[in-house]
Amino acid sequence: MMKTTTESMLLVGESGVGKTHYGAQLLKRLLNSGGQFRMNGAATNLEPFEATMECLNDGRSAAHTPTSTYVDSEWPIVGPGGHTFTLVWPDYGGEQVKTFLNSRRVPSAWRRRVTTTSAWVLMLRLHQLRVSDDLLSKPLASLADGEADDTTSDKLLQLSDQARMIELLQILLYLRGDGVGETTNLPQLCLLLSCWDELGENEPPAIMLMRQLPLLSEFIASNWSHPIILGLSALERPLDKTVPDEEYITRGPEQFGYIVLPDGKATPDLTFPLTVLLESPEE
Amino acid sequence: MKCPHENCFAPDTTCALGNLFFKDCARWNGVEKPDAEISRSDDEIVLPWSGSALGRSDIAFVTGRRSPTTIGVFGPENAGKTSLLAAWYLLIGRGATLSDRYKFAGSFTLPGWEAVARTMQWMPGAPPEFPAHTSTRGSREQGLLHLAFCEDRSRLRDYLFADAPGLWFQRWAINEEAPDARGARWIVKNADAFILTADCAALSGPDRGSARAALQLLARRLGANRRGRPVALVWTKSDIQVTPAMQAAVRDAVRSQIPNCEEFAISMQARPGDTAGVGMGLTDLLRHTLQIRRLTQALPPSGAKTHDPLFLFGTRS
Repeated sequence: MMKTTTESMLLVGESGVGKTHYGAQLLKRLLNSGGQFRMNGAATNLEPFEATMECLNDGRSAAHTPTSTYVDSEWPIVGPGGHTFTLVWPDYGGEQVKTFLNSRRVPSAWRRRVTTTSAWVLMLRLHQLRVSDDLLSKPLASLADGEADDTTSDKLLQLSDQARMIELLQILLYLRGDGVGETTNLPQLCLLLSCWDELGENEPPAIMLMRQLPLLSEFIASNWSHPIILGLSALERPLDKTVPDEEYITRGPEQFGYIVLPDGKATPDLTFPLTVLLESPEE
Repeated sequence: MKCPHENCFAPDTTCALGNLFFKDCARWNGVEKPDAEISRSDDEIVLPWSGSALGRSDIAFVTGRRSPTTIGVFGPENAGKTSLLAAWYLLIGRGATLSDRYKFAGSFTLPGWEAVARTMQWMPGAPPEFPAHTSTRGSREQGLLHLAFCEDRSRLRDYLFADAPGLWFQRWAINEEAPDARGARWIVKNADAFILTADCAALSGPDRGSARAALQLLARRLGANRRGRPVALVWTKSDIQVTPAMQAAVRDAVRSQIPNCEEFAISMQARPGDTAGVGMGLTDLLRHTLQIRRLTQALPPSGAKTHDPLFLFGTRS
């Protein structure tokens, strides 16, 4: 297994999936050496996470990352077995993703990121995504026992949630210069189903994905031979923007958050997704 | 403003000559552009697919990777052609359809599919209904909707579904050279398989006589033009009863022209007691359609005794 010394991952997610929160929590774990991976020296720039870490220390959730931001911070990391590398962790406002889905134009900087990264991490907040009922699944005759629609997701391009995610992955594949369906030499794909605590489920993440977004699940299975699907709860519980969480203040945010492994078991090691970077790319 | 190249629709889509950035294209550089356009497009990559139904020039992008199987859905107006496609998309979207053999692997017309299926979905405040009429207007030849499936977890297959207005087919059935039937002729020329829809509502309604006649005419025209390609006769809205005599008349007319056509009955209404939410016959028809393969040329048996390809043909045995 040949590994270069710089591993960068492309972190993709729409706004509100918790990219910055996870970044800040991951950083805390790396600094406190709580997991398989730890920080090996000092990161170049912690500015993007400064405010978020501050908020978490006070037991509050952080504000939204501005759209125009795109900051790469480089973290020197040592992994299990003394393997050292530099992780490039991006922080940006999720609207950028929305913008290029809408305008069908992608800034060339994104192409560079897509082509140079060895792993893609797609963050999805399953709780906000769903498949609508239709005439077949819920015929007109059963209208009487209809349930109220409880989501208020804004429809982008009026694409359904899973179609939007598929289109996003197709765009990334196109930018990479490979066609959809060419499963050779694709970067490893890791799906992080964020805000797992909202779901209140104990099923393995892949099952949850298949149940909630079957089309996306099939698309990923068709195009990646070994995708990694994990659940992520970066904060472990919902935090308020203004009202501080007492336990967070006392115990520290590094005591919170977990990853749900493919078998459905949870681990407090938030650095686990980094192992996807160390796995050899798809054969 | 548009690129002078006849098949290039820059800046709406990618450069037809394959340049990732417009500024690298000589044809594009030859046109005068407003300053705003220059600064906007030089640092951006335009995606080659718009997501809407594909037009004639757009299909090059899909056909580039492999030859897709093109399915033409034929039938008179209001026969449920678009509803059939919409129902398929909804079923695939719910993962409710296919065997393990076929897995969805992508689509370059997702917004196009969504536009077709939207009316059949439950949206807050609006109950679902069947898709509205497919318009004859518009300059595009017809909309082709794309789906890719992964077969047996290994092989990728592309499918294009032609969603065309019924009026084209009615015109074409009456006059093969009708100027407003160009789209129908394109589909007949390029499709690999056909679905002929027989509308049970029309065949049992007050105008059933003319519905039967129109369908017979269309079957005759299709039979004369299909050149051995497979046809499936699909009874749409099959929850509505058609008299056996009428059924026989249609079936005989179609079978006399297309002897080996397969028959399906579909409906958005599931059979009583069926709670799977997949309508009736829709998944069977989809599975059948995905299995259709393009007719291939078979080389004549060589009769040679050697395995050396150089001497395979032309030898006298």
